[in-house]
Amino acid sequence: MASLTDMPETPPLLRIEGLRTVFRSMAGDIPAVDGVDIEVPKGRTLGIVGESGCGKSVLSLSVMRLVARPGRIAAGRIMFDGRDLLALDEASMRGMRGADLAMIFQEPLTSLNPVHKIGFQITEAMRAHDPKASAQVLKARAIAALKRVRIPAPERRFDEYPHQLSGGMRQRVMIAMVLSCQPKLLIADEPTTALDVTIQAQILDLLRELQGEFGMSIILITHDLGVIAEMADEVAVMYAGRIVERASASRLFEDPQHPYTIGLLGSVPRLDEERETLLAIEGSVPPPFALPAGCRFHPRCPFAEDACTKEVPALKSIQPGHAVACLRAPIEAVVA
Amino acid sequence: MSATQEAAEVAMPERPGLLARLLREPAAALSLFLVVALLLAAICAPLLAPTDPYDNDLTKVMQPPGSPGLPLGADAQGRDMVTRLLYGLRVSLLMGFVAVLIGGGLGAVLGFLAAFYQRWLDGPIMRLVDIMLSFPAILVGLAIAAIFGPGIFSVVLALSVATIPLMARIVRGSALVVMRLDYIEAARATGMTDARLIWRHLAPNCLSAIFVFATLRFGQVILLGSALSFLGLGAQPPVPELGAMASEGRNFLFFAPHIAVVPCILIFIVVLAFNILGDALRDALDPRLRL
Repeated sequence: MASLTDMPETPPLLRIEGLRTVFRSMAGDIPAVDGVDIEVPKGRTLGIVGESGCGKSVLSLSVMRLVARPGRIAAGRIMFDGRDLLALDEASMRGMRGADLAMIFQEPLTSLNPVHKIGFQITEAMRAHDPKASAQVLKARAIAALKRVRIPAPERRFDEYPHQLSGGMRQRVMIAMVLSCQPKLLIADEPTTALDVTIQAQILDLLRELQGEFGMSIILITHDLGVIAEMADEVAVMYAGRIVERASASRLFEDPQHPYTIGLLGSVPRLDEERETLLAIEGSVPPPFALPAGCRFHPRCPFAEDACTKEVPALKSIQPGHAVACLRAPIEAVVA
Repeated sequence: MSATQEAAEVAMPERPGLLARLLREPAAALSLFLVVALLLAAICAPLLAPTDPYDNDLTKVMQPPGSPGLPLGADAQGRDMVTRLLYGLRVSLLMGFVAVLIGGGLGAVLGFLAAFYQRWLDGPIMRLVDIMLSFPAILVGLAIAAIFGPGIFSVVLALSVATIPLMARIVRGSALVVMRLDYIEAARATGMTDARLIWRHLAPNCLSAIFVFATLRFGQVILLGSALSFLGLGAQPPVPELGAMASEGRNFLFFAPHIAVVPCILIFIVVLAFNILGDALRDALDPRLRL
């Protein structure tokens, strides 16, 4: 089985090192993403899980360099296909958006412009990277893309407005728009959260299928562990702006090490176990302007000890391809 | 109509189009009718007018309305009032149209830039707008007429300048709302240039605000233009212009009131029609008020 450590010779498509994205406020810079390191190999899927407000979306916007003021990327490197995205000027970055890195958003209902027809929006996105293509060529490509994401009667949909489509259809249109330029990396920020379950499954199937076809890498951001289990090769668990655990998907579900990950998994209902009540993690993610000292999870952690309130745990490898940021890991020693 | 057809229509209520929504309101329907009629009358003035606007007949000087062949009488030079009004309407509407087009266009560009480049341009542009707003339009008109000399060009320039800051504010406000919507970010993520984003995604979504304000402003501009012409800064005799006609007639208010009053009534109708239409458009286009 391939994991990060098995193929050191091929450099990953995306490598983020020490990324720190902060939001300026009256009280100084507030970190939303605080020293994140991740890698995404070519053609594979990295899942990023975490609760609302843990910095997942800011992380993905940072990769696109679309963090809006008052936010800004304060430190770190984002190496994409051998280039440092943070060192590019805005025009080169614009050229990469859509063509090399693309993004689909959570809300397909509001991600399409209500005043333009579907076809116009797709051809506009393609035109941004291929200004010389004729209208007929673009239209043919757009219809092919709509057909590829299995939208029925694509010729007719081409001339329809977003409000005439259902949520799932709109997300397919977003995917078609993104695919029309065949990006190397697709960032999907909660792509199925706004959709109902059967449509979710269809969209995920579609994404996986297209990944196989075009060989693109995917960063899948979600708070839904079911989606992660189905889609991701590697998983990074985020908490309060930091990665707290990183492992292959199968390994993470089998042997979670960080108390937060254990809590997350415990809060998912399962069919194969008898359980009276679901475990819930007490409390909620601390707001980025009032982060606790030491390990950021310690106020909610059942295993916390004195050292956890003082020392910031670093992400350390406990096994090849499995790293965890917890002073008390491996957790078996504590429980035993 | 069969029962199944009826059921189908209940299930899928078709939203009435803009025109249908406008016509539902009697005042709006009337104003729309008036605006169309006024525009047609102005455009077709040469076809409709019984005489030439500069044709004076001294035998008809100051004939009251209702005289034979002169339904609205004649002015102090013996020119047919109907003809003068038709041509005057033409000049006034054209002045208003050009002023709203130029002033509104420049104002909209400023508003879009201020909203899109909020960090750098919002402050400077909006302070400039504040400064422009602090001068009364009449004063601007006087200053411009003093520089370029009185005439239609000066009036149009003054009206344009007076429209820029108002349109800039309206457009900035509605663009700021649109800027926060997801599809702007989604479009940015496809690698679009700023100019394309503004033109393709920002502007079309602000269009209804622009359209409504332009209609309302058109009425105000006509009134303001007539006022400037009345003060002698605009159209010069013998050019027929509604404000100038009222100005010429004011010397004869006691003997022949129709010469001043009739153009004033026409100004009143024009301004009222455009104002009501603007209000109705706002109601019809505003999704929050739509029931």
